[in-house]
Amino acid sequence: MVSPIDSLEAPGEPPLPTGVPKAQIQGRSPWYLAWLRLRRNKVALACAVLFVLIVLFCLAAPLWAEHVAHTGPNENHLTDTLLIDGQEVDVVSPDGTPIGPGLHGKFFLGADQNGRDVMVRLMYGGRTSIYVGLAAALVTTILAVAVALLAGYYRGWIDSVLSRTMDVIWAFPVLLLGIALGTTLSIGGLKLGPIAIAGDSLWIPILIIGLVYVPYFARPIRGEILALREKEFIEAAVAQGKGPLRIMFSELAPNILSTVVVFFTLNIANNMLLESALSFLGAGVRPPNASWGSMISDGYQVIFTAPHLTVVPGLMIVLTVLSLNVFGDGLRDAMDPRAKIRLEH
Amino acid sequence: MKALRKILVVACVIALALFGAAACGKKSEGGGGGGGEGGGEINIALTSFPDYVDPQLSYTVEGWEVLWNVYTPLLTYKHVKGKDGTQVVPALAEDMPEISPDGKVYKLKLRPNMKYSDGTPIKASDFTYAVQRLFKADSGGSVFYDVIVGASDYAEGKAQTISGIKTDDNTGDITITLTEPNATFENVLGLMFAAPVPPSTPLDKDSTNKPPPASGPFMISKVDAPRTLTMERNPNFKTVKDAGATEVVDANVDKIIVNENKNNSAQVTDVEQNKVDFMLDPPVADRLAEVKAKYPDRFRMEDSINTYYFFMNMEKPPFNDLKVRQAINYAIDPEALNRIFGGRLHPSQQILPPGMPGYEEYKLYPGPDMNKAKQLIAEANPADKDITVWTDDEPDRKRIGEYYHDLLTQLGFNATLKVIAGDVYWTTIGNQSTPDVDTGFADWFQDFPHPDDFFRPLLHGESILPTNGNNLSRVNIPANNAKTDELLTKLIGDGGVEEQYAALDKAYMEQAVWAPYGNEEFTTFLSERMDFDKSYHHLLFNQDYTSFAIK
Repeated sequence: MVSPIDSLEAPGEPPLPTGVPKAQIQGRSPWYLAWLRLRRNKVALACAVLFVLIVLFCLAAPLWAEHVAHTGPNENHLTDTLLIDGQEVDVVSPDGTPIGPGLHGKFFLGADQNGRDVMVRLMYGGRTSIYVGLAAALVTTILAVAVALLAGYYRGWIDSVLSRTMDVIWAFPVLLLGIALGTTLSIGGLKLGPIAIAGDSLWIPILIIGLVYVPYFARPIRGEILALREKEFIEAAVAQGKGPLRIMFSELAPNILSTVVVFFTLNIANNMLLESALSFLGAGVRPPNASWGSMISDGYQVIFTAPHLTVVPGLMIVLTVLSLNVFGDGLRDAMDPRAKIRLEH
Repeated sequence: MKALRKILVVACVIALALFGAAACGKKSEGGGGGGGEGGGEINIALTSFPDYVDPQLSYTVEGWEVLWNVYTPLLTYKHVKGKDGTQVVPALAEDMPEISPDGKVYKLKLRPNMKYSDGTPIKASDFTYAVQRLFKADSGGSVFYDVIVGASDYAEGKAQTISGIKTDDNTGDITITLTEPNATFENVLGLMFAAPVPPSTPLDKDSTNKPPPASGPFMISKVDAPRTLTMERNPNFKTVKDAGATEVVDANVDKIIVNENKNNSAQVTDVEQNKVDFMLDPPVADRLAEVKAKYPDRFRMEDSINTYYFFMNMEKPPFNDLKVRQAINYAIDPEALNRIFGGRLHPSQQILPPGMPGYEEYKLYPGPDMNKAKQLIAEANPADKDITVWTDDEPDRKRIGEYYHDLLTQLGFNATLKVIAGDVYWTTIGNQSTPDVDTGFADWFQDFPHPDDFFRPLLHGESILPTNGNNLSRVNIPANNAKTDELLTKLIGDGGVEEQYAALDKAYMEQAVWAPYGNEEFTTFLSERMDFDKSYHHLLFNQDYTSFAIK
């Protein structure tokens, strides 16, 4: 038989100090315990730092564009020349070949076929990709949590309708659904009553990506809500006369928060990948705006002659998604010790 | 141990050699034979699928190149390289038309006993049906046939048939009466728009998914638009040849498979590696230098008569203001755009291209002059600065759109770029119900060697059509319309006509109806197994597929 305080010491946690009377040990919140666990996962922390650095790199885009490159992300320089080692060099040669990467401030990573600065586009493209990833994750989270709470709390026909709707969305391959919606909405935009979104708005890919991932998120949370719904504290809340909305948001929601945080982090990475795929296929971010996916799409036509146009944004996607995935895994291990136990098995 | 290593090396070499031999064997098998005696199967890649697989509706370079040797009109163009290829010759008609002294009545006689690819006899009345289809299916080519008596009434539903066309299926006689003399009518009869089709073809609908039976050397045996189509030898083409149609040339290869591939660079690689035998589009700018240098015996540049331009919708703000349109013309930098084309563009800022009668070089908007452009925009002070810029998704064109978008942004407009698939681009922007068609990419390749081909379909007020329209700027200048109509009644060779066409060109550009920027050179790039010397580029229809042969 273990005492209640001993049960806090989950595998992987820092050991409790020995020789100290149990009454003197201060209580630790689950968040603090998660932080303690996360702090020991150096790889996850390194990835978090990497992600923060990538975000800072992208946020610095206007500074680089204004003070170093002296050009915007969509500005064409087809007939401009650059002074390198005292020699005038075409940004785009008369036969259409763009300048490659160099260690000069302007065109640091070279130019694309329209004479646009790749470094500037990479930074702005990163802002777009991360913005789409984050905003879409927010959309997914809000919708999925709402669906899961309603379906899990009310059960019955509400659960059936919502779950079957999720099944329908789930039945479509994510990429195909994204392409179909992206292609359709990019021409006419989205008009839903008073809400009107232009076809070239970033909100089109955000909403598409946000929507297609809802079932992947909502179903496991719904399962968790169904289990929580049967717990005594919910019965107690009902007995106290709390209304359904209050129970959902003050009793159920806090109990799924750790799951939501982990899903949210991993979802950002998935969203960025889907955004890249959609933009690559012409159904995501609209040209001439840059995103890493659209930069790869523009560059892959000339991958043999100008590989930097594809390799550099590709590398950025890999680093960002990898850092988010590893950090997300670390976060899950930290917030859900049972998962840690499973991993150790 | 050494011995074992040697045995392993020898075994690997033998395995590789056998694999190589097997691969070579498969390649020649896939090539369908050949061997210099004709026949065989080839495959072609294009970036945008033809707009329609329908002779009365197709009006793109891709469509015409593919369909030219499938649907044969009463007259056709010589199957030869260079300027001789623009000569009109008899095809399904026995001879060139007999024209009345007033130039209004054309008499032709259909060759006897000819059959379509499905065995249906080709009848004189099929010509009438084809022209009727132009009007009922809202073809962009209908503007050329308005000149036939009764065509307008038929188009407006006031008449059941076109009174100006009389045919006799028994004798094969065809009599066409025009409202006024028309210097281009023989050329117009040589276009696929007027190629006879049997009455089983839907009168008012696109027949892309089930194309009409063929009257040329090839027939379309399979269509899966917008991905692929297959052309095979027309089994009944012999009836056309037997009827004496010597100018309609037979094919060398038995089968051509045409596939859409949006990746131009991949097309280049496929031709280099002999996986594809011909790519319809020129190699993307970045690969051009490499192809030129490495494959001089498989690649060449080709003359082409065309104009590339940005259209501007003159019916709506801000382009209903002359100063705004002039500003765009001052701001455009043809040399910048030439770099997007990889140096294949001859910079020009006028409507008629070099090589077209009436072409006289001039420059109304010297530049690029951004200061002048900005000054004009400031003077115009357009209230509506929200512009939608249209282009298609072919790599060069997307970049052209991005260049233009940047230019408009620099001029202070709030521009939005719309990039849509190449195979639906022209039908989308040529449809008046499409919203926000303000400005965008356009090009025009000559249909026939007469300046009217540039002025009538593209700039005449009557060419503003509800669908499949080519007057994208919605130009309707009464004085210029009248001049275009007047000049059409005169022959190019008549004194002063070419000069008047040159003046008309300038009159339109004074109104800055377009922002033209150049004329493109085309290319031929073939696989190793193709007979490079036999293939040729036709001035009107681009690559002539009857000239394709396997070595």
